[in-house]
Amino acid sequence: MNSGPLLFLGLFVTMACSWLSFVLGPQLQIGHLTQTNTVVVGEASPQTYPLAQPGAARQGAEVYRANGCAACHTEMVRPLELGSDLHRGWGARRSLAEDYLFDQPVMLGAQRIGPDLSNYGRRTDLIGVLLRLYDPPLITPGSIMPSYRYLFDTRKIQQFPSRDALVLPSEIAPAAGYEVVPRPQALALAAYLLSLRQEGYLFEAPPPPLQTNAAPVRAKTAAK
Amino acid sequence: MSATPSPAPAAPLVSPQTPPAETGKSCPAPFLYLIGASVLWLLVASLLGLIASLKFHAPDFLAGQPYWTYGRVHAAQSAALLYGFGVLAALGVGLWLLCRLGRASLAGPCVVLLGTFFWNLALTIGIAAILCGDSTGYDAFEMPAYCAPMLFAAYLMIGVCGLLTFHQRQEGRLYPSQWFVLGSIFWFPWIFSTAALLLLERPARGVLQPLIAWWYARNLSTVFLGFAGLAPVFYFIPKLLGRPLHSYYLAALAFWTLALFGSWGGIPEGAPLPSWIVSLGVVGTVMTAVPLLAVAANFCQTVRHDLNALDANPTLRFTYVGLMFWFIAGAQQIAGALPNVSAITGFTWFGAAQKEMFHCGFFALSIFGAFYYIVPRLLELEESAWCPRLVKAHFYLTFLGVLISCLSLLVCGVGQGILLADPRHTFPEVMKNTMFPLRVSTLGDLCVVVGTILFLLNFARLLARACCRYCAAFPSAKPKEGA
Amino acid sequence: MSPNDPKQAVQKNGAEPVAGFAAVPLWLIVVFGGLFYWSQLYLDGHAGGFNAAVYAPYRSFEQVAAVNPQDPGARKRAMGREVFEKTCAACHQLTGLGKEGVAPPLVGSEWVLAPGGGRIARVVLNGLTGPITVKGQDWNLTMPPWRDNFDDEHLAAVLTYIRSRLGDNKAADIDPALVKAARAESHPGPETTEELLKIPLQ
Repeated sequence: MNSGPLLFLGLFVTMACSWLSFVLGPQLQIGHLTQTNTVVVGEASPQTYPLAQPGAARQGAEVYRANGCAACHTEMVRPLELGSDLHRGWGARRSLAEDYLFDQPVMLGAQRIGPDLSNYGRRTDLIGVLLRLYDPPLITPGSIMPSYRYLFDTRKIQQFPSRDALVLPSEIAPAAGYEVVPRPQALALAAYLLSLRQEGYLFEAPPPPLQTNAAPVRAKTAAK
Repeated sequence: MSATPSPAPAAPLVSPQTPPAETGKSCPAPFLYLIGASVLWLLVASLLGLIASLKFHAPDFLAGQPYWTYGRVHAAQSAALLYGFGVLAALGVGLWLLCRLGRASLAGPCVVLLGTFFWNLALTIGIAAILCGDSTGYDAFEMPAYCAPMLFAAYLMIGVCGLLTFHQRQEGRLYPSQWFVLGSIFWFPWIFSTAALLLLERPARGVLQPLIAWWYARNLSTVFLGFAGLAPVFYFIPKLLGRPLHSYYLAALAFWTLALFGSWGGIPEGAPLPSWIVSLGVVGTVMTAVPLLAVAANFCQTVRHDLNALDANPTLRFTYVGLMFWFIAGAQQIAGALPNVSAITGFTWFGAAQKEMFHCGFFALSIFGAFYYIVPRLLELEESAWCPRLVKAHFYLTFLGVLISCLSLLVCGVGQGILLADPRHTFPEVMKNTMFPLRVSTLGDLCVVVGTILFLLNFARLLARACCRYCAAFPSAKPKEGA
Repeated sequence: MSPNDPKQAVQKNGAEPVAGFAAVPLWLIVVFGGLFYWSQLYLDGHAGGFNAAVYAPYRSFEQVAAVNPQDPGARKRAMGREVFEKTCAACHQLTGLGKEGVAPPLVGSEWVLAPGGGRIARVVLNGLTGPITVKGQDWNLTMPPWRDNFDDEHLAAVLTYIRSRLGDNKAADIDPALVKAARAESHPGPETTEELLKIPLQ
């Protein structure tokens, strides 16, 4: 193997094998996915899935990206056999390609230093999200999630307290006469996190078979 | 390649080639710039890694400002390590090996210098951008879109010079290290352009983005850095032991199977992709056992009789231990790809341990081994110019630091995975249990940082000595006493 | 070729390395072949025929198609479950056990299991407000009406799901006709306990 051109050719072929399998192949197969009708059933009123995120959620995705949230959180639910994700209530079903159709960038994450967020919107509300961003140990004692106080403003109360001001316990509340108000970034991020839900059972991830409600079979007792 | 062992051929085992000193002498500046810049970036990466590591023990450390939040620091550290240390060191050592083995001088040294400068510039801009919130959101490809063209152009400048150097070689027969170097030089632009085009320029739809990001990250580490780190191993171990590499054919098998299978993978189990894509990744990763075994067999036979000699020379020590870490990292990667194991270890510290073992264990040690050999020769100094105590300290600090860090992260990851597999353990409860091994791994990171600083001190010492000698060689304006 | 003292073998500026020509050992070729064979078996079992609709843990398109609800009964149950998990579970929780201050439990609730289903159909259509006792506990919350969000078929499906599949609830299915009849009664505003008790049980 002493020829430069042959070496180049060989390398090109091996690279092409990988490229065809992992870049072109998937692109041809699932690169043109479009919205689908949710659930196998429901022909009476089929609903399209996924729906594009509202504007605030799109902006929030940018905040999520800029602060590297994907460094600690994943956004993909694994199937039943590959982890305890479903048992933990992190989703009703595993994640599918359709779930990420409108996301850009798709930040699936690599490590779970924090819990999975694919269905976070189902588990929390606006106040919970904002409080957790301001002071994570408030919501989860002992949490190692860093606080994102720079997404909030601590400002002097004007005539009346702001409607958006956070209600904080005395240990972390600001000084008297001041209030903590989320900045637009915080509200956008909250909108994004609340929009995280992977709904419906699709063809690729049908609902698991339900337990029947038949009376449990009792072991036959010894003959009386 | 014959299956039955044939008797050793009659060709001389050590061919009488002309010593390198008489062949075309390259301008040392480009190599020194590449090497120096790569080590400085390693220091930057290590410090950022230390900051990130400390945040686990004090989550509000530097949390007041957005620039130092964990997500951004982690991304910046990854960029500095891979693109600052990884690529520059790979190019520096690779180009030097091409010059040495081809017995040619570096083509276009000024272009290489310029290319390195632009690479550093783009990288600085990129890392500053990441800290300011402009990261792309893809692991291993965080630098924003506006850095990509400059990075690519800078790489091309350096890479083309490398190819020209190879083209001008005077030695017709290629040694395996040259394949590895060429492999790495070709691989990077292909994967980088694919990622830049399909992730930044015209993003692919939906889940294909992380697929391409995972593919790119796997190629960057296992193939590009793998080739770049194995090239000095294949060169220095046989050379410094005075023995021939055991088998040319085994080296060829390792090279081609690493190129073929090394790039198939990187996709976590349970990813939201059709099962065939994930399965191909698993299969490819498991098949990387073949290059691992081929290299192991090759070096086992090569060093079998001279195990004691491995300690005699810092280069040998570093490259050999680096090779051992490559085996461990490779085995860990294979284990982590299997679905049964990945169900437990997926998304835990296990993956981080494997990456650290690969980058800071295998690649860093192997490259440092090369540096310890190359730098004195570039500066026309003796190898004894290195301060032996600093060399020894660097070795032990890096070796032990990597071992401590990776072992503790491995234990942490497996423990975390086992606990998480039982849904009765709440997530915060599991994370509390990971705190102690994380503390230990921070200690390991600290050792590595100190080791790198010691190398920089040693490097500066060599530069100073070379400078003094250079100045002394010229007649100065002021008459020297008794000169 | 190896000198007696290993350390002397270490050459500082010696000749460039050369590669010997030992053959590839047989065991490695066997291992390579074995791994290749394993990989084909693995792909056979886990690659789902390279079909875009096959995700782990399913092994083939046929399997995925088979697991999808087939008969009308199964489809109705799946529809009902989906509506429940998307809408009702937000307050009544996925388990149907309710949450203090949010929503009363549905599992074992006498209102849910009441024969006929007329009462619970009207609750879902028109909402509920005011004090109500569920399983011996007093609740006083407000439930919004859902008549404008779902058609009769979906409401019947979710009521059937709640009555026969949630927790250990066991009660008869609800027919869309029942929902349609209940919807036809115009009822501005949510139900209250007094009004519900006036509805006869069947």
